[in-house]
Amino acid sequence: MSELSYQSPLAGVAEPQGLSISIREITERGMIDLRGLTSDPAFMAAAKGALGVDLPTRPRTSASWGDVRVLWLSTDQWLILSSRAKAHELLASLRAALQGIHSLVVDVSDMRAVIRLEGDGCREVIMKGTSLDLLDKEYVQGCCRRMRYAEIAALLDVVEDNVFDIYVFRSYAHYTWNFLCATAKAPAKLKLFGKQDVPA
Amino acid sequence: MLVVKCPVCGAEGDETDFHAGGQAHVRRPATTDPAHVTDEEQSNYLFIRINPKGLHFERWRCDRGCGKWFHAARDTVTMEFKAFYGITELPPADVIAQAKGQWAEYFANRLTSENKA
Repeated sequence: MSELSYQSPLAGVAEPQGLSISIREITERGMIDLRGLTSDPAFMAAAKGALGVDLPTRPRTSASWGDVRVLWLSTDQWLILSSRAKAHELLASLRAALQGIHSLVVDVSDMRAVIRLEGDGCREVIMKGTSLDLLDKEYVQGCCRRMRYAEIAALLDVVEDNVFDIYVFRSYAHYTWNFLCATAKAPAKLKLFGKQDVPA
Repeated sequence: MLVVKCPVCGAEGDETDFHAGGQAHVRRPATTDPAHVTDEEQSNYLFIRINPKGLHFERWRCDRGCGKWFHAARDTVTMEFKAFYGITELPPADVIAQAKGQWAEYFANRLTSENKA
C-alpha cells in the first residue's frame, strides 16, 4: 500500500525572482464548504454554535473568530478557513450541530490553491487580470468576493491592506502562478495610481 | 460593454462577470399539464424565441459573484438595461408598460391568468 501524503498544488515551483511584490503559496489551509438557508434560524444558530461566530450575511464580507475565518460566497454558501488540523474538528462539530437541519458541510481543503500577494502595488497587479476596480472603497480588509481573474474563476480575499489571498481551483494553480509571476515583474509595475490613498 | 447589476447580491460589473442565459419567462408546458402537451406547444417551448428590436427580457447569471440566476430587461437597440429583477418575479410595472409586440401580449396574458388564479 502506498502512503497517502499531502502535496500542495504548487509544490516544487521555483522561487520567483525580480518581482515588484511578494508572491507565495499558502499551504496547509483547511477549507470547509458550508451551505444552508439564512432564513432558517436553526441553521444560523447551529452554525454560530459550532464556529463561534455569526455567518456573514452581507454580500462580499467575511468574519473571523480566533483562527477561524468565514468567507461569504453566496447568499447560501460560505467557505470556512482554518488550519488543516482544525478543519477536521470543525467538520465534525458542524456535522453534529447541523444534524437534521437542511444544510451541506463538505471538507474541500484540497479543492483550491491559495496564493498570497503582499506588498505595495498588489492592487495594480491583480487589476491586470480582472475588471474589478480594486481602488474602490469596497475592497478593504474583510472584503472577499469571487471574480473573473485571468479568464478563470477565482476568489479574492482582502486579508489586510496590501495583503491579498487569491483562491483558484487546484488544476489552475500553475496557470495562475505563472500569470502572477509574469504580471508582477518589477519592470512591468504600473504607476497608474501612484501613491493614491488607500480607501478608508 | 454592458454593465450588469445582480439584484441578489448587488454585485455590479462587466458583462464578462455574468452569463447570459437566453430569453426570460419561457414556460415548459409539461410542468403545468404533462398529460396534454401537443407537439406544437413542445416545439414552441424548445425552439421558438422572441427576437424583438427594442425592449427584451432575458435571464442572466451572476457567474463570478453569488452564482444566482436573475432576470433583466434590456433594450436590444441601445443595449441599455431597464431593470434587474428576481428569477421568480415579473418585471416592474413601469417596464411591463413599455413592452411592445409579442412581449406586451405575453405579459397581458400572464397578468390575466394570474389574476384569475
